[in-house]
Order: sequence, then C-alpha cells, then structure tokens
Amino acid sequence: MSEILEDVRYFLKTEGFLNEKISLKENDSLTETGVIDSIILLQLVDFLESKYKIEIPVEMLTPENFDTLAGINQSVMKLKKG
Amino acid sequence: MAKDTLTCKKCVLDSKTPGISINANTGLCQFCEHYTPLSKEKKEEYRSRMDKLLKSPPKQGKYNVIFALSGGVDSSYTLHRLHKEYPHLKILAVQFDNGFISDTALENAQKFCDLTKSTYMRLALDQTILQDTFSKAARSTDAYPGSAKYRASDICNTCISIIKQKIIELAVSTKSPFIVFAFSPGQTDAPFVTLTKPFLVWMRKLFEGNLTAMGVAERDAYLIDARLIQSGSSEPQVTIIHPFLVWDYNKPKFKKECIQLGWIDPDLKDHNSSNCLLNAFAIKNHLDKYHIHSYAYDMAALVRQGNMKREDALQKLKVDASDTSIEEVQRKLNL
Repeated sequence: MSEILEDVRYFLKTEGFLNEKISLKENDSLTETGVIDSIILLQLVDFLESKYKIEIPVEMLTPENFDTLAGINQSVMKLKKG
Repeated sequence: MAKDTLTCKKCVLDSKTPGISINANTGLCQFCEHYTPLSKEKKEEYRSRMDKLLKSPPKQGKYNVIFALSGGVDSSYTLHRLHKEYPHLKILAVQFDNGFISDTALENAQKFCDLTKSTYMRLALDQTILQDTFSKAARSTDAYPGSAKYRASDICNTCISIIKQKIIELAVSTKSPFIVFAFSPGQTDAPFVTLTKPFLVWMRKLFEGNLTAMGVAERDAYLIDARLIQSGSSEPQVTIIHPFLVWDYNKPKFKKECIQLGWIDPDLKDHNSSNCLLNAFAIKNHLDKYHIHSYAYDMAALVRQGNMKREDALQKLKVDASDTSIEEVQRKLNL
C-alpha cells in the first residue's frame, strides 16, 4: 500500500468512521459507504495539505478526485509532483 | 447504563455507541487519543483571514452576507457580533421556517435583525410536503451514511441540508460573496469553505440521494436550482465562513449577552435547542433507531476542545422522555 493510502486510511480511522467492519476497496465510494461526509472531506483536505505541504485547489474537490482512495492517491501524487 | 459500558474519561462518548471504542488502557475514545488542539498561530491565521474577508467584502451584489439565523443562542449571538465587529456589512438574515420553530425563536430572530440593521427573510416551503419529508426521515433507516449519523439525527440532517442548499442557492443567485453559519466548533472543522461548481454539484447529488433513499418524491424544492450550477453557468464566487472556529466559543456567556440585548429564553425542555420544537423528538427517534445520541459527537468535540465542561455535556445528553413536545411532534408527523 502506498504511503499516501496508509496516511488516508489512518486519518479515516482516527477522524472519520472507518472501522474494521468496513472493508474499503480502493475504488469504493467514501461518501456512499458512510466513511466520510462533506465535513470530514474538508478535514481530509486540510490533513493532506499539511502532511504533504501541498495546496489542493478547490476546483479539485470532485467525486472523481476525492470520493475514492484511488482518486485521492492519484490527486495527491499529481500535486506532489507539481 | 450496562456495567461493561466504558465512557471516555476525557469527553462523553461511550462504548455502547456503535463505532466508538474506548481504549481500556488509556480510558480514551479513538478521537481523544488522536486529538491535537488548534494552535494559537493557526487560530490567529484564521482570525486574520476572516478580518481580511469581512472588512472589505467584494462589491458584487446587494448583500455582503447571507446569514443562517435560527433565532437560537448561537446564531443570534453571531449576528450581533458580526454587526458589532463589521458594522458596514449588509446582511440578509434568513430564518428557515420548518413548521416547528418556536414563537419565541421567530420573535428573537426579528428582534436581532432590527438590532443589527439586517434584512430579515423568512424562508418557508410548503408545510404539508415538509412535514411529510420529516415523517419520511423519521421512518427511514440508513438514508444518511455512517458519518452523518454521528453529526445529527436523520430529521436534523434533512432540515440542515435543506437550509444549506437553499442558502447557497440564495447566495449564488444574489451574487453575495459570503455565507455565514453559526455552527459550533463541535459541528464543523473548516472555518472557510470556498464553493465551486463541481463541489456544489457533488453536494447536491449526495443530498438528492439521501432524499431518494427516504422516499421523498418532490425533491427539487429542497435542492439548489440546478440551472445555477450547470455547465455554462458562471462560477460561484461564494465563501462559507464559520466564525465559531475563529472566535472563542462560550455558550453560557453568549446566552447572557443575548439576554442583555433582549433575547428571550423560550424555556424548552430540550437541553440542545433553544429554537426548534422538532429537536427533542428527532433526538429520541435517532436514539431508538441507531443507539446514537445525535448530539454526543458534537458535545464530545466541545468538551475535548475545552469549550464545554464535561458535566454540562453529560447533562445535555440526558433525554427527557416526559417532554410533551415529543408526543405533539409524533402526532403532527402522523407517526
């Protein structure tokens, strides 16, 4: 598992409602599985910005980029490369 | 409470609430274990950003701020303080009439609008359809996903989502640059939210999904006008501000100050709302369905942050089954 995904999973376990009963696959919707809502999504953005010293433009807050672990991983990697 | 129920020794969350685990060694819940308080520097940064935004708002519409006013303590105090700190702001204060607002809350809202020279707007939707929607929310299970169940009851999530959608619609259509919500620091973590079309389309789609899951057929009246956010429409220039993530949060102090300004305490039996008669029933309904007190997460966060005493939070989480408003609401919602 990539470092980004590990960090996101850690965040979702400690701040969101990801627990051992939810087996979350990389392409599962985080909102539909109830792991995040719009408020936790904004917290996650804040967490990723601090952790990776990146700025996530608000235009990037779309389901394609932030509703799945795979989308988040890709988005953060892209922003890290600048 | 069962003998083996553990309550977090720092906040108020307990192990009988689904999804909450208490570490037997530390005595802390998973949120308290990983909690990092907001630094002084970060808070100052927020303060300076809010000042910058509100001291010279962009001239792009009739109003600078669309304000969600319930008539309760938090929103009445926020409106007063906004006016005190930024007297030049042109504020449209919107009170959503969900059919269950106390008469006192209506009076308080209008009084605080007069006091702050804000324009008052009562947002009312078809009351029969609205009651049917709340009734469907009460009967529904799992219309809202896991995380939302901890933030509010199904009924309150429905009501708050309608308010958010309609206030955003109003801000976009009147070209108002700011929306202010008086959410407590336990209810939200982001002091500023810049709205973009893709984000609004996503939020609209999520709420439409929740309404569909509840069996609500007439959904459009509750959602942002799709024409405002469809491709080809102009990009919204709206930022949501949550001042209680910038200011210190001290509810007893706010209440005292509001009373001095003429705010009337409605004296509801419900410990958690000073404006909505639906709230006590909504809490009970949520507890019955999910064994989650819909204010526990909010109260726990306030205690964790040092914004509320633990004993006060525990007191607020007691459900008063003798509250007659519960039966009245049940009757009104045909439940």
